[in-house]
Amino acid sequence: MAAPTASASLNASIYSPGDQMSLTVTYGDADTRPLTLTIVVTDAQGNSSAPVRVAAVIDPLTVTVTDDSGRTWTRLSDNGTVAVYRAVA
Amino acid sequence: MPRVTVTVRDSGGRTATANADYTIAQPVLGGYYLSGGADPTADMAGGNFRSLTQYRSFADGYIFPGYQRPWLTTLGKSGIKINMVLELKHYGAPNAGPQTFTVDGTSYTVPAPAMTIQQRPGTTWPKAYGYGQVLAGQCDGLFARALSQYRTLGFPVNIQLASELDTDHEFGTSEAGKAYTWAESDARAVQAVTYMVNWFRGRALPAGTTFSVGLGGFDRACFQRTHPESLMARLDHLQWNVYATNPGHTALDRFRRTKDWAVADLGPVALSRPVIIAEWGVRVAEIPNQAAWIATVPAAIARLNAERGPRIVRTNYFNSGWGTLSPKATGLSALKAAYATRPYV
Repeated sequence: MAAPTASASLNASIYSPGDQMSLTVTYGDADTRPLTLTIVVTDAQGNSSAPVRVAAVIDPLTVTVTDDSGRTWTRLSDNGTVAVYRAVA
Repeated sequence: MPRVTVTVRDSGGRTATANADYTIAQPVLGGYYLSGGADPTADMAGGNFRSLTQYRSFADGYIFPGYQRPWLTTLGKSGIKINMVLELKHYGAPNAGPQTFTVDGTSYTVPAPAMTIQQRPGTTWPKAYGYGQVLAGQCDGLFARALSQYRTLGFPVNIQLASELDTDHEFGTSEAGKAYTWAESDARAVQAVTYMVNWFRGRALPAGTTFSVGLGGFDRACFQRTHPESLMARLDHLQWNVYATNPGHTALDRFRRTKDWAVADLGPVALSRPVIIAEWGVRVAEIPNQAAWIATVPAAIARLNAERGPRIVRTNYFNSGWGTLSPKATGLSALKAAYATRPYV
């Protein structure tokens, strides 16, 4: 299995107290695959149910953000490859 | 410096981490100057004032803390950051002749000031010690006298050399009978300021001492000429002054003007230096509602500091001349309200 990758960038290097801070995390893993399971149940007489679709991810990734100054970062969005976090300076 | 760490973990426990470092700037220091170099303590009481501008002539025998100004020592020791404007312009001494004095056991004789500045037609041109005199070492005694007093002050200051070189040179200068254009005067001043900074830096200074060169900041070419990288490498701050003198002037436009020129024209060393606004003011004749204008300043400073380029770290209101607060109580309470607002807190 492949190892994940991560990069982090802030929208500034110096903030004034009270400024909005934005952190963009770009991440991925070659093994990570979204897939959809489609399930159809068929009985002995050959009657089939309507298909049911379930989404799943092979080798899912978890992203955690910590800040050694104790600042709280809140996730604003995450599309599976790019996540944006916000904090207040 | 705070660090944010991102960890990405897959289902097998393999991780990747990435870091990003950042700095939370100190609040901008709200500051003040009171007309005549008078004691500002009473005006500052109850307000978030953390910065102060003062003016002294090298001709004056009492530079630190100044003649009958023990309050400056009190304010400095209480943590107010002092921007000390030291000028070659001659004032504070009984006459514009030569001076002989003793500093720490060494006797110095300094000649009469040989330069004229601020040569506005129809006015009396002030005298100043000449850039040539400085470079010839003839003013070293003045620097020694200032340094000796500074060492006993008990706290570090920013030494701003000259108040406004653009105002000093706008109509040319003359020294020892020779006339110099504005641009020539700027070039000579850069040499003299370099000499002075080197003179002070070559001697033991109170820890935390910083330096800057003084400009009004109203002329783009002059601002560029007086901020070569060679000089900025020896200085710690950029500096300019900001006045609203027209009903159409907004705080953002006025504080931005010189910054924009700096960002466009100056080198990376200069732009790495934080900015001291040694003077800012609102002229009541054109802008009767000073308080309303003052109230827009915090947001303007916050916005400018969020943009690319050097950060403004101190802004000292000039309650004198163009900036005179009138009525004073209204203006002062507006100033206190502004300094109680981001980015001053």
